[in-house]
Amino acid sequence: MDRDNLVAPQSTPTESTNGDAPLARPHRRGFSWTWLGVAPFFLFAILFLFLPSVSIFVRSFESLGGGFTLQNFADIFNKSDIRNAYAMSLKVSAITALGGAFFGFLLAYAVILGGLPRWARTFLLSFSGVASNFAGVPLAFAFVATMGNNGLVTRIIERLLNFDIHAAGFSIYNFWGLSIVYMYFQFPLMVLIMAPALDGLRREWREACENLGGTGYHYWRYVALPILLPTLLGTAILLFGNAFGAYATAYAFTGSFLNLVTIVIGAQIQGDVLYNPGLGNAMAFGMIIIMSVIMLVYARLQRLAARWVR
Amino acid sequence: MKRFPLFSWVWFILGLMYFFVPLISTMEFSLRMLKGRYTFEAYRVAFQDPRFYTSFGYSLLWAIITMVCSLLLVVPTAYWVQLRLPKLRPYVEFVTLMPFVVPAVVLIFGLIRIYGRPPLVLTTTPAALIVGYIVLSLPYMYRSVDSGLRAVDIRTLTEAAQSLGANWLTIIRDVILPNLRVALLSGMFLTFAIVMGEFTFASLLSWPAFGPYIEEIGSMRAYTPQAVSVMSFAVTWLSIAGIQWLGRGGAGQVQTAGAR
Amino acid sequence: MAFLEIKNVSKLFGEMAAVKDFNLDVEKGELVTFLGPSGCGKTTTLRMVAGFEEPNPGKIILDGEDITNRPPNKRDVGMVFQAYALFPNMTVAQNIGFGLKVRKTPEATIKQRTEEMLALIHLEQKGSSYPHQLSGGQQQRVALARALAIHPRVLLLDEPLSALDAKIRVSLRAEIRAIQQKLGTTAIYVTHDQEEALSISDRIVVMYDGRMEQVGTPFEIYNFPSTAFVASFVGTLNTTDAEVIDPKAHSLRLEGQQIQAAEGLGGKRAGEKVRIAIRPERFNFASEERKDNVLDCTIENITFLGSIVRVQVALGSQKFFMDTFNNPFLELPAIGSKTQITCSREAVLVLTH
Repeated sequence: MDRDNLVAPQSTPTESTNGDAPLARPHRRGFSWTWLGVAPFFLFAILFLFLPSVSIFVRSFESLGGGFTLQNFADIFNKSDIRNAYAMSLKVSAITALGGAFFGFLLAYAVILGGLPRWARTFLLSFSGVASNFAGVPLAFAFVATMGNNGLVTRIIERLLNFDIHAAGFSIYNFWGLSIVYMYFQFPLMVLIMAPALDGLRREWREACENLGGTGYHYWRYVALPILLPTLLGTAILLFGNAFGAYATAYAFTGSFLNLVTIVIGAQIQGDVLYNPGLGNAMAFGMIIIMSVIMLVYARLQRLAARWVR
Repeated sequence: MKRFPLFSWVWFILGLMYFFVPLISTMEFSLRMLKGRYTFEAYRVAFQDPRFYTSFGYSLLWAIITMVCSLLLVVPTAYWVQLRLPKLRPYVEFVTLMPFVVPAVVLIFGLIRIYGRPPLVLTTTPAALIVGYIVLSLPYMYRSVDSGLRAVDIRTLTEAAQSLGANWLTIIRDVILPNLRVALLSGMFLTFAIVMGEFTFASLLSWPAFGPYIEEIGSMRAYTPQAVSVMSFAVTWLSIAGIQWLGRGGAGQVQTAGAR
Repeated sequence: MAFLEIKNVSKLFGEMAAVKDFNLDVEKGELVTFLGPSGCGKTTTLRMVAGFEEPNPGKIILDGEDITNRPPNKRDVGMVFQAYALFPNMTVAQNIGFGLKVRKTPEATIKQRTEEMLALIHLEQKGSSYPHQLSGGQQQRVALARALAIHPRVLLLDEPLSALDAKIRVSLRAEIRAIQQKLGTTAIYVTHDQEEALSISDRIVVMYDGRMEQVGTPFEIYNFPSTAFVASFVGTLNTTDAEVIDPKAHSLRLEGQQIQAAEGLGGKRAGEKVRIAIRPERFNFASEERKDNVLDCTIENITFLGSIVRVQVALGSQKFFMDTFNNPFLELPAIGSKTQITCSREAVLVLTH
């Protein structure tokens, strides 16, 4: 709950008869102290978050020669490489967001409401906490050890089912392989967010529904799912953003081989053959736009969810 | 309704398998360096590489610097926002959302452009890297400290202390910090895990941190990268376990960060 | 045969018995209250009637049918929860109509019934509001309407007023009672507030530690408590030990003075210790009127409570409260002075266990 600023005890009569809200005229001494306390934070944000973002925005209109141009943005849509990069990134993000949301929700449901013993819940939540942070390079190598040419699962399938998945065309170094790897940190995140949301479903709602004659179907269709929907959607969107901005995992797999937006931008930084800073900035800016839209939708859904579940 | 929850058990087991199979595979893989039998040879090789120690050491040092800077930035801000400037809260929260909107790769682009050339050259020093780490850890540090402050109603405590005659130093030392101990430690553990596992910033800014080191040996060798991955996982697990152990009894928080 | 019969119902949670051998017959149209402190088993018993807990053992028979094993959504009982439990994603009207919707009632009927209910609870304008936009009292009224909309055979209320302000509690409990009587719905009401129970019930069941302590009308429970617990839980009460002098004459010795009871000493022998209780309002100053018993005592404290003046007196080592109506012309004796108080024989209650 926001409370008004403390009104200094020595406020002069003119201040109070003026009717100014306390915040508008804080006491002199408190004023400078307070702002000093938060200044470093905002200074840091301005210097190292806003300025770089602005720089990206500005330079995305810069042509190779140094003048103003919209060509970079046109290139994003026209150059098939780049278009494909965006398409691939969006596809991977969408698949892993939906998959992560679906499986994560089912897992969370199983341990919270599904009748499993208490330890299952504690265990799953702890492990999800760890798994959602185990990403990047080590995760990539872990999956090479699992499903790569010499991976454990590959060998087991070969021995048990006499089926060489790699000969059949499977590879972890493509879209599907990457998606499977991304899922490793996607659906723990879903579990971690959905578990408290499922907890928040009050027992009395279920009982009231039953008492009024409803079955489990009625409860989920008319009460539980509608209440959970903002959180569900919001988290799915969060997962989308999570995958879209991922870099390390994909890079560890194949260097710059996989055609993802983050990889392409990274290649620009490392100075590849087609070095075109304007284009890089435009792509970077494109990412910022997409992520901002995601954040806005997520924030909106958060507010909606908070309104109902007091 | 006391039916056996088959559906739940199936999903639970499937979920566990998905989590554990890669871990077990990595573990198993890391033990197969020498043909025919399981040994810790891969680990031995890893520990013999001097660059293992140097890169780990660098990351450790930078982790500590990041933790300190992050604390210095976040704690006063969170405190003042709670106590005196609640109107600033939306702005602060906007800042903590920025690292998500501007992912690592993108941020580096901008950072290099502004701070990579005269007059303000930061990129030749680890400062740029530390800045990146701070940006990564900022949201979680802030959220941790903020909810810690809210949980103890720091405003009322401060007023009580003031009415009893305490000066600011006493208030900070005896009222605020002790009550924030858990939140601060949680934030620090998470920052530690983030920095140790971070790859993007270090790689693109060309610093010999632990993350790029793992990637490098990954492209050159087999088995040893998996051994190091196992160790990296252990570090992550210990950090998160530390956070969860600290936060026992409190409402759980979602903490995710780091390299993706 | 009564409308609702709760027969020999017990409930075990692991080792602990929450309810022990509960037996009650409820008549149609009656409002029975389960009254008792936290943990006495009243809510558990209510939930067994609703179907959220299973009696082990016991039977619940409603209108001739044994519903003990029926799931909660097939019992046709309406429940009002302590925490309202309104569905936050539905409007007030949708909440009220939910039970009917589930029963596949035609739209037109649902609409009409909802309007009836809204009128009943005096919230006609709030049909399209959401629960979070209403006050606590309003939300509880909606919860009541929602439970009544399905024309339940029994209405169950689980401490419905606990979460509300004192003022609202008083007005809302009267409203609930009025609606219940108007509709003639059989109801079971659970509360720990004895004033609530006394003011709205047809009968009260006082419970303690899982057992029924006493069943009776409010008048009976208050004036003729049968156990020490009931006597002390309902209203204020002076209790003390006294020694039997003559069981036939019902005379007792209290702090060296003699006091007469009207009954309750059958089976007691001379010299035996019993526990007696006297309501504060049954005492009066002997100077005002003389009754059967006159006792010497010292004034210790006088508290002015508005319409009542509460006088604390010392009888030897025992302290008693005496309540007398405020009277502007009343001359109260000074603190520390000696005086005489009086009460009738019937006012002296002999408590069993």
